[in-house]
Amino acid sequence: MKSLEKIKTAVLACLLSVFAFGSTVLAQGNPTLSDAEVASAAVTANQIDIDFAAIAKEKSKDTQVLKFAETMANDHRAVIEQAVALAKKLSVTPKDNAVTQQLKADAEKTKAQLRAKSGKAFDKAYIDNEVAYHTSVISAVKDLLIPETENEELKELLMSVVPALEAHLEHAKMIQHNMSKK
Amino acid sequence: MFSVLMAVYKVLLPCALLLLAGSPMAAEKQASKTHRVEIAQMKFNPSSLSVRPGDTVVFVNLDVVTHDVTEASGKLWKSPPLAAKSTWKKVMKTSANYYCSLHPVMKGTITVK
Ligand SMILES: [Cu+2]
Repeated sequence: MKSLEKIKTAVLACLLSVFAFGSTVLAQGNPTLSDAEVASAAVTANQIDIDFAAIAKEKSKDTQVLKFAETMANDHRAVIEQAVALAKKLSVTPKDNAVTQQLKADAEKTKAQLRAKSGKAFDKAYIDNEVAYHTSVISAVKDLLIPETENEELKELLMSVVPALEAHLEHAKMIQHNMSKK
Repeated sequence: MFSVLMAVYKVLLPCALLLLAGSPMAAEKQASKTHRVEIAQMKFNPSSLSVRPGDTVVFVNLDVVTHDVTEASGKLWKSPPLAAKSTWKKVMKTSANYYCSLHPVMKGTITVK
């Protein structure tokens, strides 16, 4: 049973990594994430976007990109604070798991790619990645994390984060569109 | 002569006061209302609002993330950043389209008439 769960989680993690390509296969899976693991994945997903924003603050000179990055850092920090406060209230300690690990591994690759670029090429790569990342995180939250969550309050928190993620996605697409006209 | 003036004054003063009280300006002052726009789930609600000149609009941020209220041209008026649970109010004199400069996809309209 234990090893079966391990396999399921590993499959889940792989599926999560292909979310960026529009896969919805996850809906068919039968993953086994505890609330502590969901909390860990949620915090990590938010922290990753804060890390991307930090790179943008270092490398970009474009005011709309910088302003977007600042909103990302502030909003995702607010979500983490809320998640951590709720976990504390529920006495849940976020638990590392395959989904969290996969998110981190993918993020490291992206960070390396971003760091290798500069100027307008960096701005484009950062915004393109924000569009892809928010698209995949929205799918993961809706189709994986929310259905996996047992606790109602944690579920509500995840649901309340979706509109913010969607606004970020639309904002990123707006900048992407502006850039393509230049 | 003086007493005639006083008499005229005594009659005119109440008339003047009555006129003032009955003037459209005073009526508007009495009728001025406060409207509430909630910012929740990344939306202004109601996103479209109709008010009388001089009415106050209070914006209440119910989200966990910070928002602001920025007049669409970016030149006329703008609220400070509104952290979670904070409010900001503005007396409306002219119609305006507005948006959140932190999340430009969030938009609203106030029509003054
Ligand atoms: Cu906003």
